[in-house]
Amino acid sequence: MFTAQYSEKEASFIFLRAACILIVLMRPQTKTSVFGTIQRIRFWYVLLLCLGGLFVVRLFYLQVIRHDYYQKSAAFSQLKEYQIPASRGIITAKSGDKTVPLVLNETLFTLYADPKYVKDAGDIADKIQKTIGGSKSDYENKLKKPDSPRYTILAKRLSRDQHEKIDKLELKGIGTRESQYRTYPDGQIAAQLLGFVNDDGEGKYGLEEALNDDLNGTPGQLKAITDASGVPLAANKDNVVVNPKQGTGVQMTIDIGVQQQLEDLLKQGLDNAKSKSGSALIMDVNTGAIRAMASYPTFNPAEYYKVTDGAAFNNTNVSSPLEVGSIMKPLTAAAAMNIGVVGPNTSYYDPSYYKIDDATVRNIEEDGGAAQRTTTDVLKYSLNTGATWLLMQMGGGEINRQARTQWYDYMTNHYMLGKKTGIEQGYEAEGTIPSPTDGYGLNITYANTSFGQGMTATPLQMGAAFSAMLNGGTYYKPTLIEAKTDAEGKMQKKAPEVVKKDVVSQQVSRDLVSMLETTYRHNRAAYGAGQIRPEYSVGGKTGTAQISKPDGGYDENDYNGTYVGFIGGDRPEYVIVVRVDKPKIAGYAGSKAAAPIFVKLANMMIDSYGVVPRSE
Amino acid sequence: MQPRRRSAVIQRGGVAQRRHKPDYVLLVLTAILLVVGLVTIYSISPGLAIQRNVSENYYVNKQLIAIGLGIVTFTAMATIPYETWKKLQKPLIGAAIVATLIALALPVSEQYPAHRWIRFGGLSFQSVELVKFALIFILAGFLADRMRRGEVNDIDKSVKPIGIAFVVIAFVVAGLQSDLGSTAVIIAIMGLMWFVAGLPVKRVLLLLGAIAVVFLLAVSTSDYRRDRVMTFMNPERDCQAAGYQACQALIAVGTGGLFGKGIGHSVQAYGYLPEAANDSIFAVIAEKFGFVGVTAILCVFWAFFTRVKNIIERAPDNFSRLVVVGLLAWLSMQAIINIGAMIGLLPLKGITLPFISYGGTSLIFATAAVGLIFNISRYTTFGVHDIEETAPPRKPEGRRYALGYSSRR
Repeated sequence: MFTAQYSEKEASFIFLRAACILIVLMRPQTKTSVFGTIQRIRFWYVLLLCLGGLFVVRLFYLQVIRHDYYQKSAAFSQLKEYQIPASRGIITAKSGDKTVPLVLNETLFTLYADPKYVKDAGDIADKIQKTIGGSKSDYENKLKKPDSPRYTILAKRLSRDQHEKIDKLELKGIGTRESQYRTYPDGQIAAQLLGFVNDDGEGKYGLEEALNDDLNGTPGQLKAITDASGVPLAANKDNVVVNPKQGTGVQMTIDIGVQQQLEDLLKQGLDNAKSKSGSALIMDVNTGAIRAMASYPTFNPAEYYKVTDGAAFNNTNVSSPLEVGSIMKPLTAAAAMNIGVVGPNTSYYDPSYYKIDDATVRNIEEDGGAAQRTTTDVLKYSLNTGATWLLMQMGGGEINRQARTQWYDYMTNHYMLGKKTGIEQGYEAEGTIPSPTDGYGLNITYANTSFGQGMTATPLQMGAAFSAMLNGGTYYKPTLIEAKTDAEGKMQKKAPEVVKKDVVSQQVSRDLVSMLETTYRHNRAAYGAGQIRPEYSVGGKTGTAQISKPDGGYDENDYNGTYVGFIGGDRPEYVIVVRVDKPKIAGYAGSKAAAPIFVKLANMMIDSYGVVPRSE
Repeated sequence: MQPRRRSAVIQRGGVAQRRHKPDYVLLVLTAILLVVGLVTIYSISPGLAIQRNVSENYYVNKQLIAIGLGIVTFTAMATIPYETWKKLQKPLIGAAIVATLIALALPVSEQYPAHRWIRFGGLSFQSVELVKFALIFILAGFLADRMRRGEVNDIDKSVKPIGIAFVVIAFVVAGLQSDLGSTAVIIAIMGLMWFVAGLPVKRVLLLLGAIAVVFLLAVSTSDYRRDRVMTFMNPERDCQAAGYQACQALIAVGTGGLFGKGIGHSVQAYGYLPEAANDSIFAVIAEKFGFVGVTAILCVFWAFFTRVKNIIERAPDNFSRLVVVGLLAWLSMQAIINIGAMIGLLPLKGITLPFISYGGTSLIFATAAVGLIFNISRYTTFGVHDIEETAPPRKPEGRRYALGYSSRR
């Protein structure tokens, strides 16, 4: 376009003239030449002006045209999001009429380093070691390691005092940060019921895990422009603050006095039985509320991180199902009686063994010879053949599909076995109930279930089922929660939750109470299970359960001792379930190892916790 | 202020010149730049103080002290007749050499990683500033002499001595002190003074070519320097390490936008941008005051340089002219290198922005330079012309006017 206006000749002429001007400029200079001192200084001045113009253009490009790009790029490093932690809900329990805290929060400090700013790792490690103890070489390694992250944690759980001392040292690249921790004013009581909160603020095991979301609340949020070290700069219009929703406070159903005694008596009983582990629970028959529950071995929740065997974290009352053994027989009897095929005094001839499929059901107890027996005798003498006979009655005289289906229906839909109770605990197990219609050897399997083998259930499931059977037939959901705080922070009582009504009839319930009383009295006479004052109603059933081996068959030497009993006056008030794993003393595990613990617990409840005696 | 002595006539190289009113506009422009720097430092002082763990007013107080000292230096330079410096060449060389030797002898530390500083008590001082100052006086005297004899281009009389002086200075400043920024400033000072003194364009091009070749050789022979050049070409390639400061400077400038974030709202000064008060202050100003603000500041600089140029054009003699040329080269080159680096047009060189950057040495020498220019502005002629000092002494012809002081204009 430009050249089009000139002919080729004209253009070359213009070019020639330009070249001439350049030659003139380039020729050797004299002081009086056109390119003298003044021109030379003006040349620099014009150069400055051009550079200034270039700078302005560049600034316009950066600040106006590319502004958005740099805004984003700045936000990437400057805008940081912080969580404002919600304080975790505290957990309380009853102590008589009072409410006492079991779990509180405490502010401790985490010591961290940004190794990038640490110059003399040895010196700093030395100073830290002198202030808070620990291992100097450990600190030094963390500070020196080339792949240490910019936020390297050196120590946790420093006290406020230690935190202040460290801050006073003003070590470069070292800082402390507030962290919330759980603290346990009553020590390690109810450890497994509570569980613990790990360093990431997550509840683990027990109540802390089951109610983690409730207890945690919802953290708030702070979105702010910060300085390079992440400290928010004062009030900025871009800052966003969302306040946290504080965690729900929880009041437990347990009474810490009862809980403490239960823990002590359990430990003592296990020691007496030379058993390494076991559990016990006390449940309110009429509400499903757990008054005390513990398993052994246990741990200290304040020092959960020192525990080497994770098994101690488990509340085996809910997490560890077992073949329950003879404590199943009262449930079998109640089912048969509720169906109406037998009564408490229905008499039958017990041949002392039954051949079912290719197996034989025998009685393992001394009382089990061939004889004329009643339904009550089945519990009194703990007859496996008797339980099998009860099952047969459900099928009209033999174990068949009808017997299996009815018994299955009772186990799963009346006693709620084979499904979680929904108690507020982490890692609750379901247990297993064999299918009545699928599989091989169903008849012998079902014969076994009638006396508590070939199926599994947790002690809590058994306790809840017994409560339903003994309280007139209402299955309450077992619970550890008495009350929770609402949105305003006020405690709101929680009503007992009915899962199923008419588990058994009122009449069957009353019959079972007296059958279990009879059974208890027989046991006391036969095995010396201990005295309970006569103005109280007490009953129960032992279980000595075979332990199935992983590769099939049952263990020859070891048994689990179980006991389910109740204590009350006119009506049963508390159900107590005891489990003793593999006791090493002579005699049946149920009567020799588990029953004594039951008796002590029952007496403790009578003596210290006001069980109402019989009215007559 | 100086008492006015209208009748005073100073004999100078046989030329009688009337002393007149100096260039006060220069002072106003300098004051504006000083205030901009002080206000900026004041507003980012809390952010800086947190990082260094000093009291909140630490930086402002130190800068105020520096400005106070700067005013003293200015007054001294404005009062002492500039001819005096011609006679003080030897002591000046001596002082520059002694300062450099002390700086080289002192051990380096984390805060002072090169042999550039003389520390005394809580004060630190860059020896190269004194070297630049001495160099300007000595070279002005030397070149004025060569101009009188017509030997500016003489190989033996001019090229060799200047060449040797340059090699020695470059060896110390670039080699021993690894201060490439100051080397560039010294090249600009020497080059511009020599160029204005009359070095033929061919020679100038030859020298520029030689410098370019040396630069290319230096870059290609060292991985470190090659890396620095790569980082400069594309700082966002390595924002986390080598290009960090360049990236943060660009972010500061870029987020400033058209009108800036406002005086109290710099974020980059809070630990993101290294040397926020010193070398990087221009980026902080760009963040606070935006495109409009920095353009205004560039205009102030340009006005300042315009006044200086006018004084050069009207200088009474070649010595004073060359002195001001050297000072102009120095101040303008520092501004170019500093601002150019902040907006990503030049590599970062650790050069302060005259009058604005935090730091005593830089500020005191800059005010000293203004004092000197102010001093010389008293003797300017009305006309703009080349100075013929080879001619025999003659009577002053006609009236001489002060700069911008004529009613006939």
